[in-house]
Amino acid sequence: MSSMKAMTYWRSLDELEQTTEFREAVRREFPNDDWDRLPPATRRQFLKVMGASFALAGLTACRWPKEEIVPFAHRPEGRTPGVPQRFATSMEIGGAALGLLVTSFDGRPIKAEGNPLHPDSLGALSAVAQAEILQLYDPDRSRRLLLREGGQEYVKDWSEFESFAGERFSGTGAGVAVLAGASSSPTLAALHERFLATHPDARWYEYEPISRDNEREGTRLVFGSMVRKHPHLGEAEVVACFDADPLFDHPAALRLAREFAAARNPESGSGARLYVGESGYSLTGARADHRVAVASSRVPALLAAVANNLVAEHGLELPAAAAGFAGATDHSATDDERHFVDLLAADLVTHRGHGVVLVGPRQAPAVHALAAVLNYALGSTGSTITYTADPSPDRPSHLEAISDLARRIRGDEIESLLILGGNPAYDAPADLDFADLLAGVPVSIHLSLYDDETSRLCTWHLPASHHLESWGDGAAWDGTLTLRQPLIEPLYGGRSAIEVLAIAAGDGPKSGFSLVREGLSERFGFPISDGFWRQALHDGVVGQTAWDTVAPTTNPAQLASAVDGLWELLEAGRPTAKHAELVLVPDAKVFDGRFANNGWLQELPDAITKITWDNALLISPATARDIGVSDSEIASVQARGATLELPVYVLPGMARNSAVVALGYGRTAAGQVGNGVGTDTYKFRTTAAPDILSGVTIRGTGRTYALATTQDHFAIDTIGFLERNRRVADLVREASLDAYLENPEIIHEQEHHPPLISLWKDHEYEGEQWGMAIDLNACIGCNACIVACQAENNIPVVGRQQVLNQREMQWIRLDRYFKTAQGVTSDEVDDAQIVFQPMACVQCENAPCEQVCPVAATQHTTDGLNAMVYNRCIGTRYCSNNCPYKVRRFNFFNYHKELADTTKMQFNPEVTVRSRGVMEKCTFCVQRIEAVRITARNDNRPITDGEIMPACAQTCPAQAISFGNLNDPSSEVSRSREEHRSYAVLAELNIRPRTHYLARLNNPVEGAPSSDDGAGGHGKESG
Amino acid sequence: MSNGAENAGLYGYLARFDLVDEFLAGATQVRDAGYTRWDAHSPFVIHGLDAAMGVKKTILPYIVFAAGLTGAAAGILLQWWTNAFDYPFLISGKPLFSLPANIPIAFETTILFAAISALIGMLALNRLPQLYHPLFTNRSFKRATDDRFFISIEAVDPLFDPIATRELLESISGRPIEEIEDQP
Amino acid sequence: MSATTTDTVSYLDNTGDDPTVRARLVVGDNDFHSVTEKVCGIVERPQPKLWWVVFAISSSLTLVLLAMIAYLVTTGIGVWGLMIPVGWGYAIVNFVFWVGIGHAGTLISAILFLFRQRWRTSINRFAEGMTIFAVMCAGIFPGIHVGRIWFAYWLAPIPNQMSMWPNFRSPLLWDVFAVGTYATVSLLFWYMGMIPDLATLRDRATTKIRYYAYGLLSLGWRSSNRHWHRFEFAYLLLAALATPLVLSVHSVVSFDFAVSIMPGWHTTIFPPYFVAGAIFSGFAMVVTLVIPVRKIYGLQEIITTRHLDNMAKIMLATSMMVGFAYSTEFFVAWYSGNAYEAFTFMNRAFGPYAWAYWTMVTCNVIVPQVFWMKKFRTNTILLWIAAVLINVGMWFERFVIVVSSLSRDYLPTSRGYYRPSIVDILTFLGSFGLFFTLFLLFIRFLPIVGMAEVKGVMPQAHLDRPDHRGHGDYHGDISGTEVLS
Repeated sequence: MSSMKAMTYWRSLDELEQTTEFREAVRREFPNDDWDRLPPATRRQFLKVMGASFALAGLTACRWPKEEIVPFAHRPEGRTPGVPQRFATSMEIGGAALGLLVTSFDGRPIKAEGNPLHPDSLGALSAVAQAEILQLYDPDRSRRLLLREGGQEYVKDWSEFESFAGERFSGTGAGVAVLAGASSSPTLAALHERFLATHPDARWYEYEPISRDNEREGTRLVFGSMVRKHPHLGEAEVVACFDADPLFDHPAALRLAREFAAARNPESGSGARLYVGESGYSLTGARADHRVAVASSRVPALLAAVANNLVAEHGLELPAAAAGFAGATDHSATDDERHFVDLLAADLVTHRGHGVVLVGPRQAPAVHALAAVLNYALGSTGSTITYTADPSPDRPSHLEAISDLARRIRGDEIESLLILGGNPAYDAPADLDFADLLAGVPVSIHLSLYDDETSRLCTWHLPASHHLESWGDGAAWDGTLTLRQPLIEPLYGGRSAIEVLAIAAGDGPKSGFSLVREGLSERFGFPISDGFWRQALHDGVVGQTAWDTVAPTTNPAQLASAVDGLWELLEAGRPTAKHAELVLVPDAKVFDGRFANNGWLQELPDAITKITWDNALLISPATARDIGVSDSEIASVQARGATLELPVYVLPGMARNSAVVALGYGRTAAGQVGNGVGTDTYKFRTTAAPDILSGVTIRGTGRTYALATTQDHFAIDTIGFLERNRRVADLVREASLDAYLENPEIIHEQEHHPPLISLWKDHEYEGEQWGMAIDLNACIGCNACIVACQAENNIPVVGRQQVLNQREMQWIRLDRYFKTAQGVTSDEVDDAQIVFQPMACVQCENAPCEQVCPVAATQHTTDGLNAMVYNRCIGTRYCSNNCPYKVRRFNFFNYHKELADTTKMQFNPEVTVRSRGVMEKCTFCVQRIEAVRITARNDNRPITDGEIMPACAQTCPAQAISFGNLNDPSSEVSRSREEHRSYAVLAELNIRPRTHYLARLNNPVEGAPSSDDGAGGHGKESG
Repeated sequence: MSNGAENAGLYGYLARFDLVDEFLAGATQVRDAGYTRWDAHSPFVIHGLDAAMGVKKTILPYIVFAAGLTGAAAGILLQWWTNAFDYPFLISGKPLFSLPANIPIAFETTILFAAISALIGMLALNRLPQLYHPLFTNRSFKRATDDRFFISIEAVDPLFDPIATRELLESISGRPIEEIEDQP
Repeated sequence: MSATTTDTVSYLDNTGDDPTVRARLVVGDNDFHSVTEKVCGIVERPQPKLWWVVFAISSSLTLVLLAMIAYLVTTGIGVWGLMIPVGWGYAIVNFVFWVGIGHAGTLISAILFLFRQRWRTSINRFAEGMTIFAVMCAGIFPGIHVGRIWFAYWLAPIPNQMSMWPNFRSPLLWDVFAVGTYATVSLLFWYMGMIPDLATLRDRATTKIRYYAYGLLSLGWRSSNRHWHRFEFAYLLLAALATPLVLSVHSVVSFDFAVSIMPGWHTTIFPPYFVAGAIFSGFAMVVTLVIPVRKIYGLQEIITTRHLDNMAKIMLATSMMVGFAYSTEFFVAWYSGNAYEAFTFMNRAFGPYAWAYWTMVTCNVIVPQVFWMKKFRTNTILLWIAAVLINVGMWFERFVIVVSSLSRDYLPTSRGYYRPSIVDILTFLGSFGLFFTLFLLFIRFLPIVGMAEVKGVMPQAHLDRPDHRGHGDYHGDISGTEVLS
C-alpha cells in the first residue's frame, strides 16, 4: 500500500517534468515578470496551472508518516476517520520558538492554534504564525534539489547531494563557512558544535535582518555581560515605551498583550498607564494614554530628558558611573514633549518599582543602556522587568556577522558556503552587495523552502521541509524547551536544517527524529525514557526548563562608554522637510519578507493603515503638506545613494518630517503570490544605519498609485470626514478610567434614542442562546482574529485588484477609527488617536437581512444565530444592502475554482466552500458549536461555559472576545453583558445585536489631558 | 309564419348603411319590428345603439367580481400556507403570519385574477374566437371594420320572412340588400 | 360650429385654450376611411429607409445585450462594478427606470379613460405598446442581477428541490408579483383594445399570410354590436382594474427601498414619489417616441399638436410633484432629527455623488419649467429635447437613490464609491436596443393608433339629435358608460 503510494507519487513527479505547464512554470519562475501589474485572475490561474501540473493526486490523499499509510478498513489504533486530532508542535521566528497546537484532519494539518502550555503563547497565536499553515501547502514551494552550473540547471536528488557533501565537507573545513539564521534549537546548537569540532577551520555565522541585538548589546554596556530582558506588564502601573512596541513587535508579545489586557481591567487591573514616544504609529501607540510623536532619531533625547527630569526634579539616584546620563537638556523640545516628560517622570517616581521603561530594537545600544539604568534605579528590576543570561553570549551581532562573512568572501577566503535558511541575497544590508559576492562563491549551498533570490545565486538549492513536516526543538523566549513534531510527511521531499547540518557535520544522513531525541538525551545528560519523550511530545514543551533569572549588577567601565554613546546620539538634529528621517520597520504581515508568498498575509489589512498587497511611505498630514506630496501620490525617496519610488500614505499621528516604510516587499523570487508586491526597501539598508536613516529627501512625482486599502484613507472629502468623526464617539465608546470609576453610567449617558419597542410581540428565545462580548479595552488590534477566522472558515483570497474593488472576503473587519477634534477638516489635522473595533456579524435578533431575503436563505436558528444557508442563497445581495454593519461578504467570482490542489488540502472539511454568487458571513463558528453540542449530547450533559470557542475568541492574545450562552446568567458572556461598560453598536435601530462591546477605558494622569484629548477628546457630548 | 325548407342554405339578409344616423334609425325599426335573431355591425362603438337595439346589460361585472374575490383569497391563503404552516421559519423575530406584510401580494393576485377573467369572460360571452362566420363570405361586409354600417337579420329568426324582411330592410336602408349564403 | 372656429384659426392648430371653443381631436378633413388608410397604411406599405437604419442599430444593440448577459452568467456578478457596500447598481437602477417608463401606457389608457379624456384615443395604443416593451426590458434586470441566475426560479412559489417556499415578507417577492401582474394585465389590455383594429387589417389583407395571421389574432371579430357592448364593458373593467394596479406597481417597487433600514431608502413618501416619477418619465418617453413617429408616418392630423400640448402639461405637473418630493426628503431628514438620515441627504447633494444629484435636479425640476410657455409645449423640436433630458434625469434619480444611499450608510468604515464597469454600461445600452427593436416591430406589424376608438371620437360618429347625450359634442359619451348609467 505505502510503496504503491510512493510509486504513484514519484511517477507523477517524473511525468510532470515533461508537461508544458511545467516548462511554463519554470519560465515564469524567472524574476522580473511583474505580477503586480497582472490581474489577480491571472495569478490564481497560475496557481491552478502549477498545482494541476504537479498531478498531486498522490499528495492530496491522506499522507501519514509512511509506516502508517494503511486503509481504514483495519484502521490504526486510536484514529477515527473524520475526527480531527490536535498535536502540539512549534515554529521558530528570529530565534524564539513558539508553541503550536495544530488540528489535523485525516492526516492533513488544517489549523494552527497556540499551545496553552507554552509561556510565549498561552494558547494564543499571532496572525503571522497562524498563516504559516498556508505556507505549508504553497504550490510555489521548491520541490527538488537543483544544481546550477555554467548557466545550466540540473535536477538532483538527496543521495547525490549527500555524496557531494561527503567529499566537500571532509577535512579541516578550511574555506568552509556556514551561514545560519538565529536559532534557539539545542539540537542545532549541538550539531553546530559537532560541526566545528570536525571542521576546526570552518567559520559559523548567524544572520537575521530583524533582531534585538541592540537591546542585547545595551545590556552588555550596563551589566558587562549580555543578558536577555523580560518585561512583565501584569503588575505594571506605568509602562513607558520609547519607539518600542511590546504588544506586537516582541518575541513574547502574545504574553505581554495578555498581561497588559489584565492590567487594564478596571476592576482587577493594576492600571498600566501607557506612555509612548515613537515616530510611527505602532499598535502599542494606539493604546497609549499619553503619546507623543517624535522622530526615531530624537527618541534618545526624549528618554534623556526623562532621565534628567527624574534626577533634577525628583532626585532619583543613578549609579555613579551612569550619572552622566542626566544633565542633557533638550532646548528644542516642543511643549508636547516637555509635558510628556514631566508627566512620565512624576509617574515613574510615584510608582517606583511598578513602572517599566522599554526601548525598541531600532534604538542604539546606548539608549537601551539608559533604559536599563532607569529600570534599575527605579527598582523595576525583578518586578516589572527580569533578566536571564543570554543563550549565546559570545555570538557577534548579526550585522557584524554578515559583514565579516562579506569581507571574507570578498577576500576569496570562502570556498564553500552552506546557507541554512534565510535569504541574505535579498535581505542583507545593501552596502555589502551580498548578492554579487554570493554569486562569486565557488560552492554555495542554500537550504530553503523556496527557490528564492538566494538560491538563484547559489550552486546548490536544497528544498527545506516546513516546520509542520519536520522534527525539531527550540527554546521559548524565556528558555522553556519546546519540541516540534511533524504532522505530515514532507510534501516535496524537503529536509530540515538539522538533517542537512548533520550531513555536513559528517554524521551522514540522519532522520530528524533521532537527531532531536539524541539531542534531548545529550541536553539532560542521560538517555530519556519513552514515557518522558511521549509526555514531552504531547505537551510540546518540557516544564521547568526556563532559564533562571539573574540579578546583574551595573558595570562602571562599560557604562562610561554608554554615556558617551548617548551624548553622541543627542547631537542629532531634528529632521526637516528637506532632510527628512526614514525609519525602516519589519512588516506586520510579511515580517522580513519571508512570508511574502502567503496570500492570507498579503491580503490581511494592516491594522493601522488598512493597506493590503503593498508597502507604502507613511507620513503625517503636516509632513505631506511641508514636502508637497498628497495621499496616494508616488514619492521619489532618496537616501544613502539609493532612490526608490514609493506610494505615499498620509497617516495622522506620525512624527513631523519622519517617514516610516515597511521592509519585506518587492520580492523577485518569492513565488507567484509575492513576486513584485510592493517595493524592496532593503535597498536603503546599510550596516551603518540599518533602521533609522537621516537626511532623506522625499519628492512628489505627480503620478499617483492606488493603494488597495479596505477602509477610507484618512484624507477624504470634507463632509464625509466630519461625519466620520461625529459618529466615532458613539460607535466606539470611551471614557477615562477615573471618570468611569466615579460614574460607571458614563458610557451610556451619550445615548439618545426613543424607547425601543416592537410593533409585534417579541419572539421568546428559549434554551441556549449564543452571544458574544468584545472588550474594546483589551483589544490591541493585532489582526490575529481575522486570520484565525480565515483559516477556520475557508475564506478565499481575492487578490489586489478585487480588494481595490472593495470585494475583500475576510469575515472579520477590524474597524480602525481616527479620533480628532470635532469640526476640524482632514487637512487641518496632524495628530489623531486610533481606536479599534473588531466587527463581524453581530447576529441581530431582529436581523434586517433576514426579512428582505426573498428565498429565506438567511433566517434565525432556535439558538439565536443569524444562520446563512449557502445552498439556498441565490445572491440578490439585498441582505448585504440592508445590513447596517455591512459585515456580509459576496462571492463575486468563483474564488476557489483555480486553487492549487495542495492549497485545497488546508480547507476545513467542517465548513462549506462557498460557490460563486453566494453571500457569506460570520455565524459564530456554527460548526464548532455543533461539534460541542454533539459531544455534549453523546455524554448526555449540558454544554459547559467556555467549552465553545469561536476561532477568533480562541486565538485572541488579549482574550478580548468572550462567547457563551446568554440564557445562562453565570456564563462569562452574560456577566460581561451586565457590566456598565457593555453597549450595543447601533442599538437605536432596535435590531438587538447578539454581540455587545465593552467600552474602552483610557488611563491618563488625572487632570492631565490624555493623548486623545489633544486629538479631539472623547466626544461624549456628541452622539 | 314559419321559415321552412325554402330558407335552407340561407344565413340571412344584410343591409348596408353609409351614415350613422340612418343606421341608428334602421336599428330602431328592426327592433320595433320585433326581430330577435339580428345584429348591427359598425367599425366602432356607436352610443345609443345598445338602446336602439335593446341590448340587455351584460353579466360580465359579476364574473369579474367573483374572480377578484377568489384572487384575494388565493393570495392570502398561499402566503399563510407556505410561510406559516407548511414550512415556518423564524425571520427577523417577526410573527409567522401577519396580514400587513401579505397585503401587497394579495392585492396583486386580486387584480390578476379579475383582469384575466374580464378578457376571458368577454370572449366567452361573445362566443369568440369564432374564426368562420357566414358574414365573412360577403365582400362588402369587409367595410364593416372600416367605414360602413350593416344590419343583418338571420334566417332562423322566428319572424323571418324572405319577402317581408327583405322589404323592411330595403325600406330602411334605401338600397338593395344582399343574401348571405350559409355554407354547410 | 367649433369646426369652423378652429378651421379659421388654422388648419392643423387645435391647441386653443378658449373654453367656448371645443378643440377637435382629429384635424384636417378626415373621414373614417382616411383614418383607416392612414393607420393601416403604415403596416401595409413598405417601411421607409429610416426604419431599416434604426432597426439595424437597435437589433445589433440587442445582440450586445445578449452577449453581455452570456458573459455575466458564465463569469459572475463580479464583471459588474458592484461591491460591498454598494450591492445594487446599474441593474436595479435600470429596472426601476424601465418600470417607470412602463407606466405611461397603462396610465394613459386606463386613468385617462376613466377620466373621460377623449384625446387619449390617438396615443393610447402607442403608449400601451411602449409599456409592454419597457416592462419587458425591466423584467430582464432583476432576473440577471442575482448571483446564481440558474436558481432565480426559486423566487416563484413552486415546490423545489429544497422543498422550501419563498419568503413572503421580502419586498423583492412583492416585486415579483407586482411586476408580473402588471406585465400580464398590460398585455391583456393592449391586446384586447387591438382586436377590432386587427380585424380591420384582416379585412384589408391582400395576401393570404396577412389574412390568416390577422384573422387568427382578431379572433373572428365581426364588429357585431352585441359584441361591442361586452367589449366596451370588459374594457371599462380592465381600465378600472389597471388604474390601481399602475399606482400599486411602482409603490411596490418603492417598497424595495422603503422597507429597508438604509438611510435614504427608509422613507415613507416613496410610494407617491415613485408613482409621480414613473408617470413623469413615462410621458417623457411617449413624447420622445411619438414626435418622430407622427412626423415620419404623417399622423399629425391624428396625433395632433394638442396631444403633445396636453402631455407637456402633465409632465410639468408631475415634474413639480417630483421636485416637491425632493424637497420633502430634505425636510424630513432635518425634521426627524435622525442624524444618519440628515447626513445621507447632505451627502447626496454635496458628497461624492453630488454630480449625479444635480444632474437629476436640473433635468427633472428645472428643465420642465419651460413648459409654462406654450411655445415649448407646441414646438416639437424643443418639446422633444426637453423630453429626452427628462428621461436622462429620471434615470439619474434612480441612480442617486440606489447608489448614493448605499455608498455611505451607518458605519464610516464601510463606505464605498461605486463605478460601473464597461459591462454595466453595455448592458444598459443593450436594453435600449431591445426596447427599440420591439418598438419598430410593433410599428411594422400592428396598428399603432386605435382606429376604432379614434373613429368613435370623430365628428361623423355623432348625431345632432336632441334626445341624445353629448349633444353636438365631439367628445360625446361612450356607449359603455351609457349602459352603466
